[in-house]
Amino acid sequence: MEDLNLLYERFQTKLQNVAGECHRVKTFQEASELIVKIVQEKGIESIAMINSPMAKAMNLKEALSANGVKVFTDRYPETAASANAGITEMKWAVAELGTLVQYCEDVNERLCSSFTPIHIALVQTSTLLPDIMSALITIKNEPRIPGFVGFVTGPSRTSDIERVLTIGVHGPEQLIAVFVDEQVGEGVVNG
Amino acid sequence: MADAQFKKEIENALENEVLRGALGRFGDVYGKSREQAYQGYDFPALREKVVEAKSYAAEHLDEMLDQFEKAATARGAKVFRAETGEDAKRYIVELAKAQKVKNIVKSKSMASEEIHLNDALLKEGFDVQETDLGEWIIQLAGQRPSHMVMPAIHMTKEQVADTFNANLSYTSDPVIAKLVKTARREMRKKFMDADMGISGANIAVAETGTLMMLTNEGNARLTATWPRVHVFLVGIEKFVPKFEDAAYILQTLPRNGTAQQITSYVTMITGPNPTYYPDGSIQDKEFHIILMDNGRRKMYEDEKFKQVFNCIRCAACLNVCPAFQLVGGHVYGHIYTGGIGTILTAFLNSEKDAENPQNLCLQCGKCTEVCAGNLDIPGMILEIRNRIGEKKGLPATQKFILDVVSNRRLFHSLLRVASKAQRPFSKGGPTIRHLPMFLSGLTEGRSLPTIADVPFRDVIKNMKQEVKNPKGTVAFFGGCLVDFVYPKIGEGVVKVLNEKGYKVIFPEGQSCCGAPASYMGDRQNARKSAIMNIEAMNAENVDYVVSACPTCTHALVESYKELLADDPAMLKRAEELSKKSMDFAKLLTILGGLEKGGDGVPLKVTYHDSCHLRRKMGLIAEPRNIISNIKGVEFVEMNESDRCCGFAGSYSIKFPEMSGPILQRKLKNIEATGADVVAVDCPGCLMQINGGADQAGLNIKVKHTAELLLEKHLNAK
Repeated sequence: MEDLNLLYERFQTKLQNVAGECHRVKTFQEASELIVKIVQEKGIESIAMINSPMAKAMNLKEALSANGVKVFTDRYPETAASANAGITEMKWAVAELGTLVQYCEDVNERLCSSFTPIHIALVQTSTLLPDIMSALITIKNEPRIPGFVGFVTGPSRTSDIERVLTIGVHGPEQLIAVFVDEQVGEGVVNG
Repeated sequence: MADAQFKKEIENALENEVLRGALGRFGDVYGKSREQAYQGYDFPALREKVVEAKSYAAEHLDEMLDQFEKAATARGAKVFRAETGEDAKRYIVELAKAQKVKNIVKSKSMASEEIHLNDALLKEGFDVQETDLGEWIIQLAGQRPSHMVMPAIHMTKEQVADTFNANLSYTSDPVIAKLVKTARREMRKKFMDADMGISGANIAVAETGTLMMLTNEGNARLTATWPRVHVFLVGIEKFVPKFEDAAYILQTLPRNGTAQQITSYVTMITGPNPTYYPDGSIQDKEFHIILMDNGRRKMYEDEKFKQVFNCIRCAACLNVCPAFQLVGGHVYGHIYTGGIGTILTAFLNSEKDAENPQNLCLQCGKCTEVCAGNLDIPGMILEIRNRIGEKKGLPATQKFILDVVSNRRLFHSLLRVASKAQRPFSKGGPTIRHLPMFLSGLTEGRSLPTIADVPFRDVIKNMKQEVKNPKGTVAFFGGCLVDFVYPKIGEGVVKVLNEKGYKVIFPEGQSCCGAPASYMGDRQNARKSAIMNIEAMNAENVDYVVSACPTCTHALVESYKELLADDPAMLKRAEELSKKSMDFAKLLTILGGLEKGGDGVPLKVTYHDSCHLRRKMGLIAEPRNIISNIKGVEFVEMNESDRCCGFAGSYSIKFPEMSGPILQRKLKNIEATGADVVAVDCPGCLMQINGGADQAGLNIKVKHTAELLLEKHLNAK
């Protein structure tokens, strides 16, 4: 746990440096409450969400719906294009530069994480890896390298006009990472 | 060699304040931001890894191609090898037709720009949309990219707004955040409607068939997300052998390109991914990879240019180039810009297209210092210059001058005549401020030094050399400037070496080192000079050969060996000369330096690194230590001390309009230190900086380190 704390600290600093938001909670219950709060604060009314193992473990759809937020878990080509935010689960987090790693062969995961203006990324704290090299080796050692692997480090950005940094071009304008210590299932450590 | 049209384009670029503003602002901050981005990382070690992976891939190109094809095919990709750009275009057009494609979105691909893919697709009636913001802007404006990483850096927000307003049904204010929003809105529709995506790749992994793209905007992700047909156009220089080799490129490309630690997105695609089809079903995409040669293999088979396969297209070489910073990318004439662009243009377009832009290179070598692939960009540009020179011959006037210079007796007697003939212009002073008529370009923004009354070769004959505990003999290679313009530097060198126990001889038969011929692309005359000087210096009979001009030293140490590689007997002598030759600052350092001493009078001194001394010989601390060791000297560093002064030999004559602003920037940096003296180790830099300071009326002296030692250390005894 000591190591994970250090990795998390590094991750958080790095992600915040590139204008990403980063939170960490212990339990799925706390995670659900935190996300409801973030969603309300940002005035998010509709969300396209992949009902991933983590989302299920926090009963996220129910919690958000109970608070008046429209949560879509189907018809993604329409819903992801129009929703205020998307929620998906990440495979790994890389501490070195604050990078989230997603395995996105599923087109719906791609839509929810890249077409929406705000992306809320769910992460198991236990998936923290130290650096880019270990992330690449981990991916390579999968039985089959996923067809689509995305490294995400902060929101979408451009400096194409007069070299002025502007956040949010094609991809999400806001990236919010929510780390949860509690493990899905029976405390199986995932990495 | 630069033609009139080219000169005109340079002039236009120099007058374009928008361009100079954006490029200048970026250039000003890039160096420090890049350094920050590498904090905690060992750049030389990282780039060694890049070179290791990329050069392995280059050495095993066919193996890489086969491996990649096999791995990608096993994952369901269709791989096509395109020999030419035409082959690639035909394949894509046929594919689009067969798949009944209407709308195409593209994420950044320089390879597609290189072959004018958009034109081919538009001609067939497809709607083609660039999605990288910068690429889209220039697509709408009907222009070419001016920078590999920041294609629209030459435009202002006002110009971007005008471009948008001329092409869209509503107006956008010239506010950057709003313009970006407009792009997002417009592009969103395009991404949703597209049935084909075309992408370029930054990295192709041979063992897994994976393609990787680095973007900040997210357009590459979106291009790879939705469209049911996906085509990658990949140059065959993009391979790395192993998946994990990509780490080294991920660690260097963003830092070198835009001084970021990593781009917002890195997207790795291995084989087709499922997507939505028009009937609502989810199926694997139609996924094609084109591995394109289009002149690259020719580069790979050329021993001098194989190293280009180590290039990761980060554009750091553009970002630090003093010439690129002044004129931007468009004057380079083609898709690839800057130093590396000149080389790519020579192979991927034609040597002829590189003829003009190759002239822009100052040979300062700053690009090589930051290059992630450790490419000798100036060396390759020089090779192109030489090849053109050999094929076409040099213009008559240049050829005449170089023929004269390589004829020692003629050259030296002309110089002696000139020392008398210059009097009307020098008015008895040490500099010439104005020259009449067509020569006036030479004195624009800087004064020229007069030719010395007595050349050093005559001065040394009358010098009394007192060597107390004789240790050996040093042969002094003067070079034209020390010999005929700045004999004082020679005096300093001799007295300092005497102090260290060495007698100095000045072999009479020596002449110009041949660098002017080398740098102008006249290998024949350079070779003549090499032979003449090897015979004159007779290195076999002395302990060391010293020069106080780093350009000459470089010729003695490196160039002669290369020029005479095909002549075993001369090569052996060239190697002997190379072994014994070194620059003054280095020789003094290995001889243990002078004892601390000096007149003790307070003097603030700053130091300008000459390109050849710092980057070809790696002498950075040595001259600073020598200067700081003089009693009374307060040493201060200037900003950008290693930035070229703009002299660059004949460059300042061929391009005074470029050399001038580069010199002005140097003078500004010098002035800001408040120093009394700027020390240099190169008589060429001395001439340039002194000339600029004189004409600008700056109250600062420019001195060679040897001269400073003579005046402030030795003469103080």
